[in-house]
Amino acid sequence: MYTPTMLLAILPEILLLTLGVILLVVEPFWKAENRRNAGWLTFGGLLAALLISLLFARPADPQTVFGGMLRYDWYGFFFKMMFLFAAAATSLFMMDHEKLGRRGESYLLLLATTLGMCLMASSADLVMLYLAIETTSIPLYVLSGFMLDDKASTEAGFKYLLYGAVTSAILLYGFSLLFGFTGTTNLDTLGNALAAGPNMSGLVFGVILLLLVGLGFKISAVPFHFWAPDVYQGAPTPVAGFLSTASKAAGFAVLLRLFFAAFPGFASWPSILAVVATLTMTIGNLLALPQTNLKRLLAYSSIAHAGYALIGVVAFSELGRASVVFYLLAYIATNLLAFGAVMAFSRITGSDDIKDFSGLSRRSPWLGLAMLAAFLSLAGMPPFGGFVAKVIVFAAAVDKGLYVLAIIGILNSIIAVYYYLNVLKFVYLYRMDGENEEAHPIPLTRPYAIALVVLAVGVVLLGTLFGPWFDWSNLAALNLF
Amino acid sequence: MSIDLILFLILAVVAVATALGMLLSKNAVYSALFLVLNFAAIAVFYLLLGAPFIAISQVTVYAGAIMVLFLFVIMLLGAETLAPSKVLRGQGWAAFGLAVVLVAETVYLLVSRHAAVGVIARPDAFLNTMDSLREIGKALFIQYLLPFEVTSILLLVAMVGAIVLTRREKGG
Repeated sequence: MYTPTMLLAILPEILLLTLGVILLVVEPFWKAENRRNAGWLTFGGLLAALLISLLFARPADPQTVFGGMLRYDWYGFFFKMMFLFAAAATSLFMMDHEKLGRRGESYLLLLATTLGMCLMASSADLVMLYLAIETTSIPLYVLSGFMLDDKASTEAGFKYLLYGAVTSAILLYGFSLLFGFTGTTNLDTLGNALAAGPNMSGLVFGVILLLLVGLGFKISAVPFHFWAPDVYQGAPTPVAGFLSTASKAAGFAVLLRLFFAAFPGFASWPSILAVVATLTMTIGNLLALPQTNLKRLLAYSSIAHAGYALIGVVAFSELGRASVVFYLLAYIATNLLAFGAVMAFSRITGSDDIKDFSGLSRRSPWLGLAMLAAFLSLAGMPPFGGFVAKVIVFAAAVDKGLYVLAIIGILNSIIAVYYYLNVLKFVYLYRMDGENEEAHPIPLTRPYAIALVVLAVGVVLLGTLFGPWFDWSNLAALNLF
Repeated sequence: MSIDLILFLILAVVAVATALGMLLSKNAVYSALFLVLNFAAIAVFYLLLGAPFIAISQVTVYAGAIMVLFLFVIMLLGAETLAPSKVLRGQGWAAFGLAVVLVAETVYLLVSRHAAVGVIARPDAFLNTMDSLREIGKALFIQYLLPFEVTSILLLVAMVGAIVLTRREKGG
């Protein structure tokens, strides 16, 4: 029964767990003033896990391990590497956060939720999948409400918990119906059993809707997006950044694998998703326009981005899948950069209102540059990653003849350019009222400097040398099931 | 009448009576204790049906762990006798209507499907021994090993989270 591949398949998870246990045991023995080092330990550990996994745990031919619970393939592996990277960047952002930075528990929760995401990306069984989703969600509920003496944070945590519990119950109901129809929880056999069984397209349509509620919540697609702005605004900013990137990517990882594996023969779901994608892009962008708080603006923008990525899912082709994977990669780097820059700013000034960003380019030129890279990439401008990602997603849609969807997507990105550039207008063109900006510098601590530089370089690399990244996305998309 | 049938009839009376007792007693502690008795009666049903594992877990998990926790909470909160809380208007009638629908559905299914399904056959002797326990153990620790381990991580994290959210900071 046992083979070494089994351990290789969960090597990233094993390393994450080991790191978490070390952290939990070591941290209480440190003096209070050294507690911040838990962040360095987490960051170093995550980097080591990333490197070790890249060196030793690369999958060969796809295979299922642990009695069909996990699939060991490039798709899962690629997503796992993304999650480890996002977690490493987030651990750096957390270090200088007033409340999170000196608490070992916050890093442990980060590691645990990353572990859950890794399992989400490689699950090949409904039982495993559900457990993985819960392992991801529960630490995130706690992290969102981590600042106990802050009303907005407590509200964010509670709201996220309530929405999460309800949607996860609905998702579970969908899973139970799938099991009832087919008698199996395994994703591979499930698709065949559904196709071979009697025609139940009406019932399956209902199941697809149930699953969409659960996963739509995870990726914050309209109409399951109501939690996102409040939670992103209230939660500690590093957590909000992680929620909007890695957690969303994990949702997409499950969405792609589940729908492609279980319902390949049901033509109805791409059209449902097309409607969802249209609504998500349009409503996200329109609601982002009047925002005055930058974290809220980023929340609505992240809803809109889920819509763009959904276009790739709707395309229902290999190129479509590869485009989603690439889009998520570019989006993770870009949005983490945006949230990191906002955090570095509001840590000093205590505000994340857009108008307070006036004169930022003079107060801290490098931070201004990081914001420029992040927001232009979000807007989809070359030479940044967001541009290439959008092009590939729209190309996938056009390739399948979905012209209307592609045009809606392009119109939406034009709307979005307005509010992204509006922020940059404050950063670069406006001055602080009657103040000398040089007198109000915004110092960057070392963790921020490292994370922002790495992410900014990543965003540029994704937009210029995109060949190898796209090849990897393609490789991941090939081996989906 | 076989001994099984006699046992079943006695237990059925006990189960229904304790369920009613749980619903009707005014004191929350009595309700909880009635529920424990109800769980125990149902555990014996499982034994009669040849499912010793479910019977034992019913006793240890439900009657043991969960209900004891319940009792602790009731007593710690001092909520033995709660004042009758406000109910929504028409709640009683709605509940009655839904209960009637549920009973009607069950009766319909029992009657209409009876011929097709028949009385479910008694499980064979194999299941009635502890061999079934061995099979469950094998499934749990071979096929479902990974989900089993992930559950333990999930519980650890939930515990850490609960402590984080309830701990008061010193001097803060």
